[in-house]
Amino acid sequence: MTLKDWARKKSIWVFDVNAASCNGCDIEILDAFTPRYDVERIGVVLVPSPRHADVLLVTGTVNAMMKDRLKTIYEQMSEPKYVVAVGACALGGGVYKGCYNVGHGVDKVIPVNLYIPGCPPRPEAIIFGILKLVTGEPPDPKEEE
Amino acid sequence: MQLLQLLVFPGLTFFVWIAFAFEWLERKTAARMQGRVGPMIAGPFGLLQPVADFLKLASKEQIIPKHSEKFVLTWGPPLYFAAPAIGIIFIPVIGNESIIGHPLDLLFVLFVLAFSTLMASLLGYSAAGRYSTIAVGRLVVQYTSYEIPLILSVISPAILAGNLSLGGIVSAQSNYWFILSAPIGFAVFIIASLAELEKPPFDIPSAKTEIVGGWMTDFSGNALAYVKLTKNLSYVFLSALAVTLFLGGPNGPVLFHQIILQYVMNTIYFMVKLFSVGFLIFVVKTALARIRIDQAAELFWTILTPLSLAQLGLVILLR
Repeated sequence: MTLKDWARKKSIWVFDVNAASCNGCDIEILDAFTPRYDVERIGVVLVPSPRHADVLLVTGTVNAMMKDRLKTIYEQMSEPKYVVAVGACALGGGVYKGCYNVGHGVDKVIPVNLYIPGCPPRPEAIIFGILKLVTGEPPDPKEEE
Repeated sequence: MQLLQLLVFPGLTFFVWIAFAFEWLERKTAARMQGRVGPMIAGPFGLLQPVADFLKLASKEQIIPKHSEKFVLTWGPPLYFAAPAIGIIFIPVIGNESIIGHPLDLLFVLFVLAFSTLMASLLGYSAAGRYSTIAVGRLVVQYTSYEIPLILSVISPAILAGNLSLGGIVSAQSNYWFILSAPIGFAVFIIASLAELEKPPFDIPSAKTEIVGGWMTDFSGNALAYVKLTKNLSYVFLSALAVTLFLGGPNGPVLFHQIILQYVMNTIYFMVKLFSVGFLIFVVKTALARIRIDQAAELFWTILTPLSLAQLGLVILLR
């Protein structure tokens, strides 16, 4: 493992986008930063600008209004960049599937690296997903303690 | 030998590692005060977390926005980094003299502080984003407010020592620290340092909830890595300046006859004081919330400037 790989695994800066979500998934994402889960211990930081971020967390069915904006945000991120679709809506429309005004998932608009299902997914699932994305394997429970 | 001292110990490399340690301490303090644990898995107790952040940012792609001033955006971050990096080598660490002492180096250090803000505003304007433009406007207003109390509070130890060099100010504190005769000056210096470092309650130019990332919004990759490192180094620089001017620098309670032992002990005294001042700033910063820009200007102009003037008068009477 080179120094670069080590640094990329230990420091994960995320930026979350609410693309027409009901806000449920966003609250669960923010839950992961609270004292109970505290993802800062594994190096995850919520950054204010997409240009600073490594991982883009997208929630919600991407509707027509959000489509171009989501693309713009994705293009502003610098390489290497990853996209995580959080929640049932982001995976394929969720309960709104079939409605005339909603998109059907993030992967119709931008390439997605990882899907986290759930309506909304628990914070544990989100942490598990981010770690799996970066390390390529489930986190070692001993290392987390 | 002098070059080695400048580059390694007690020069640049030493202070860059302290800058990383400061960021770790800042994040740990904030986390503990909020009931969290903070960085844990990068190195022992997460000590290497800032290093990992820096290496990761430095290895990322750098995006240069279309409408930005490309020349400034490319060469600005190294210059911005140079400001505290040059200023910090004037701080005496192992003895009463710094590596390249000069009879008037206090003035140079004040110039470096002003230059750092100038570079920040240049970088923010050259990125040409709307959030960075708003942030630079706030930065300049804040700069005009805190600069005068900062300089007035720095004058008090210089008058007490009768000397304009940092080495002279440290030697004059061998009997008692200037915080005893200039406590208000110390308090004003710490508050003005918070404003210089854009930390709460004065994080108005980099307010996350209002203007995205402040003047750093459009930075990415290498430039962001250097800007973040510079902010941490400025943190160390201002804390070191507070230690030098008010807390006796490397002076300690016990003197040794062996010169090497004395150097080691001086460094330890200096580090203990440095981290105590840093910790004080972290606690204040975590405990307080942001104020508005007009409130900050009012605080500095109507309360802190008269207070530092009063401190100056008191010091002249004492002397």
